Amino acid sequence: MSIKKRRFFAGFMGSQTKWLNSMANKGCRLVKAGKLEYVFDECDPGKYVYTVEYVGDKSLEESENYKAFLEDMGYQVFFKNMNLDYSILKLTFRPWADQGGKVSTTKTTFNRELLIVEKENDGKPFELHTEKEDRAEYYKKIARPWYYAVFLALLVAIICWPNVLMTAICAGLAVLFAIPVVFAAIKVGKIKKERELEE
Amino acid sequence: MKDNVKSGALTEVTFFILLSLFEPKHGYAIMQFIGEKTDGRLVLGAGSLYGAINTLTEKGWIEPYGDLDGRKKEYVITEEGRQIAEKELLRLKKLTETASMIMGK
Repeated sequence: MSIKKRRFFAGFMGSQTKWLNSMANKGCRLVKAGKLEYVFDECDPGKYVYTVEYVGDKSLEESENYKAFLEDMGYQVFFKNMNLDYSILKLTFRPWADQGGKVSTTKTTFNRELLIVEKENDGKPFELHTEKEDRAEYYKKIARPWYYAVFLALLVAIICWPNVLMTAICAGLAVLFAIPVVFAAIKVGKIKKERELEE
Repeated sequence: MKDNVKSGALTEVTFFILLSLFEPKHGYAIMQFIGEKTDGRLVLGAGSLYGAINTLTEKGWIEPYGDLDGRKKEYVITEEGRQIAEKELLRLKKLTETASMIMGK
């Protein structure tokens, strides 16, 4: 019997991972990930573990190559949207993305910003990025869109200058958007320190 | 995957990937190889492995192997990769020699 749940996690990958794993522990295995709806089948509790990865910086070809690679590793992989948007023709500009991923449309990586990856539980933690260098790169990649958000908010704040309220709101937003950037910088800094002594 | 250019030292994972590909293998087999040869000490995540394979392919140290029809993608070490691995072996030998001498073992 399949179970349907409606949830939306936006960019909170950690929360989404936690929730999927708590469902798995209750005996629910993901079979479909829609925009808002998750469909589960029954399974033995704790049989599977999940992790969520950001691939919104990749071109369609690259993210499909990566998905195929993970499937070759024996994992089950789902594309997942990070934003909610129901327009049919849509063009998004992502200056932070790799080449080929800069402009995304409904036909390419739009609404396929995340991968949900499932493996059979072997008792070991499910980490896709284990190398220090690679982990640092991944944190930087996740933070990159936020740099642009901070920059945009500051830009609007300046443009709105005579209007004190608007400027204050935008400056406040800039500070808010800077939080993920700061977190990522702390994590990257920690890894750098470790790397001075160890690989 | 950044290898120290100055000293020419490879990261442990890079060296293991090169070693694993003296015989053609697909991603999962590379991961298993590393797990077996280090008795599970070195755990390599699939995302890190994917990045490493791409970097090593770009450098020309490994290359895709065989036809890809409906099968898992396999890789094999190149001539250049073999030379790099050989250099690393010499470096490590020298290092263990020095260490043994000083530590008296």
